[in-house]
Amino acid sequence: MWRSFSDSIKRRLNCYVLILPTIILVGLFCYYPALSGLYYSFFDWDGALHREFMGLGNYMEALTDKRLLWAFFIILIFVVANMVKMIPSIIVALAIFHLKSKRSQYLYRVLFVIPMIIPGVVMILMWRFFYEPNVGALNRLLDALGIIDISSPPMWLASPYLVIPSIIFMGFPWVGVVSVLIFLAGLQGIPDSVYEAADLDGCGAFRRVFAIELPLILSQVRLTMVLMIIGTLGGFEQILLLCNEFGGPNGVANVPGLYMFRMAFMEGRVGYACALGMIVFLIIMGLTIINEKFVRIDK
Amino acid sequence: MSAKSGMKSKSMFAEMSRHTLILFVLLFAFFPLYMMLQISLKDNAQFTNNLWLPMAPFHWANWQVGWLAIRDFIANTVVVSVFSTVLTLAFATITAYVFARYKFFGSEFLFFLLLGVMMMVGVASLVPLFTLLRDLQLLNTLTALVILSVSGGQVMCVYVLKNFIEDIPKDLFDAASIDGAGDFGSIWNVVLPMSGAILSTLGILRFIGTWNDFIMPMLVMRDQKLYTLGIGLMSLSSGYDRQWGPLMAAYCIASIPLVLIFVFTMRLFVKGLSSGAVKG
Repeated sequence: MWRSFSDSIKRRLNCYVLILPTIILVGLFCYYPALSGLYYSFFDWDGALHREFMGLGNYMEALTDKRLLWAFFIILIFVVANMVKMIPSIIVALAIFHLKSKRSQYLYRVLFVIPMIIPGVVMILMWRFFYEPNVGALNRLLDALGIIDISSPPMWLASPYLVIPSIIFMGFPWVGVVSVLIFLAGLQGIPDSVYEAADLDGCGAFRRVFAIELPLILSQVRLTMVLMIIGTLGGFEQILLLCNEFGGPNGVANVPGLYMFRMAFMEGRVGYACALGMIVFLIIMGLTIINEKFVRIDK
Repeated sequence: MSAKSGMKSKSMFAEMSRHTLILFVLLFAFFPLYMMLQISLKDNAQFTNNLWLPMAPFHWANWQVGWLAIRDFIANTVVVSVFSTVLTLAFATITAYVFARYKFFGSEFLFFLLLGVMMMVGVASLVPLFTLLRDLQLLNTLTALVILSVSGGQVMCVYVLKNFIEDIPKDLFDAASIDGAGDFGSIWNVVLPMSGAILSTLGILRFIGTWNDFIMPMLVMRDQKLYTLGIGLMSLSSGYDRQWGPLMAAYCIASIPLVLIFVFTMRLFVKGLSSGAVKG
């Protein structure tokens, strides 16, 4: 009796010991920063010695911060643009899925993955090269076609009017490998009986796409969309690499993540930056909860 | 002409138009790669005179210059990515095994806490994470990058592996423990042999993720010698007197390891992602 009791204690202790590394790592490097970020957001803090409690002061300031409002407006534009940019992935997935030959299906999948496997930074830097005003590929193409004069070239990333469209256009033809593969998995999950029924009803190709395939891969589309929105709202790597830490000319391409980054690491306003981080977090949380609700209703 | 052959030619036409569409998109998708490769063999004069087509003489020395410029960055990135991947999988497998096989006081709560990390948003904890690393004296070290990658990868890997281990038949574990295997024995002899595919998929994703990481290394690293690829390439690309050939060669070299990994694991990767990414 005693022996089995001590055995079971030993086994329990063993469990705790085994999961200890994970728990420590997650606690210290996931939970602690998140909670301490919430704590710091109530302070006026320069990241070093000066730290003064100011309650909701940072949040009140954020509400009336015109540059932050602009940043949210810009990120909204990017989110909408990224939704439109999901369409090519869906079209490509449909095209691949309906190919008769399994071999070319496989071949195309592989071929699509290759350009996507290139490190993101390299891809962004390549696009920065395309947009270079004097030597870049885009202006030299337009010059060769006689559309522009290379001696007074459009400054794609340095003009406040062109920078947003240029950033949106980046990555053309916007086929994301993960989304294509996810959509393909969704399409493959559609039972054959659905197609047979559609055939019997004399369903044409267009109706098949809009009445059967799109509705049936809606959960995949939604998943990709959620991932995209979370990534877009928090991301600023692209803009930092394409423009600069100020978000391009006059800061027109400033996004919330970049603004937070600049506040914390360039203007020494760590407390305010933490509050900005919390605001982005709350918005993403809110959107996730709304999305969960929709998914429930759907099923 | 019967109706049947008419339908056949219609479906042939549809098939051809699908191929055309896909090839057209592929052409654009491969364009940056093509530019990268052919410019990497040009000197600046060739670059100015003939941007679009490959042109002799080919300056293979560009690749050497590019390699010398980024080989330290590559070495740092390899170290960080390899250690991150191995440690992530090791810790995650053990934790997933425990959660899958044992109920103990607080196990459900701890697992719930672990899943809670999925709700967290990276950008919100970026700044406090930086101050934490500063307080731990980990700034400007590769260790910091490994730790961040391992802790960031735990949740996803534990979640996937726990589901996987729960599906392994109990008899196998019973047999192992009759043979006198402890927990590590069971993991080694039962879990690992059965979860090769899933472990490799998770490992590859983690490796690529770490390889491509940019923001955290940029915040953490000061010393140019310790730069990882992302920040290294950025610092190379923003010089004024740019040599485009070597720069593009450096971009190519930076991409090779991922392409190689992909080529060797293609089947697994394409299949694993498309079947495992979204189930239910």
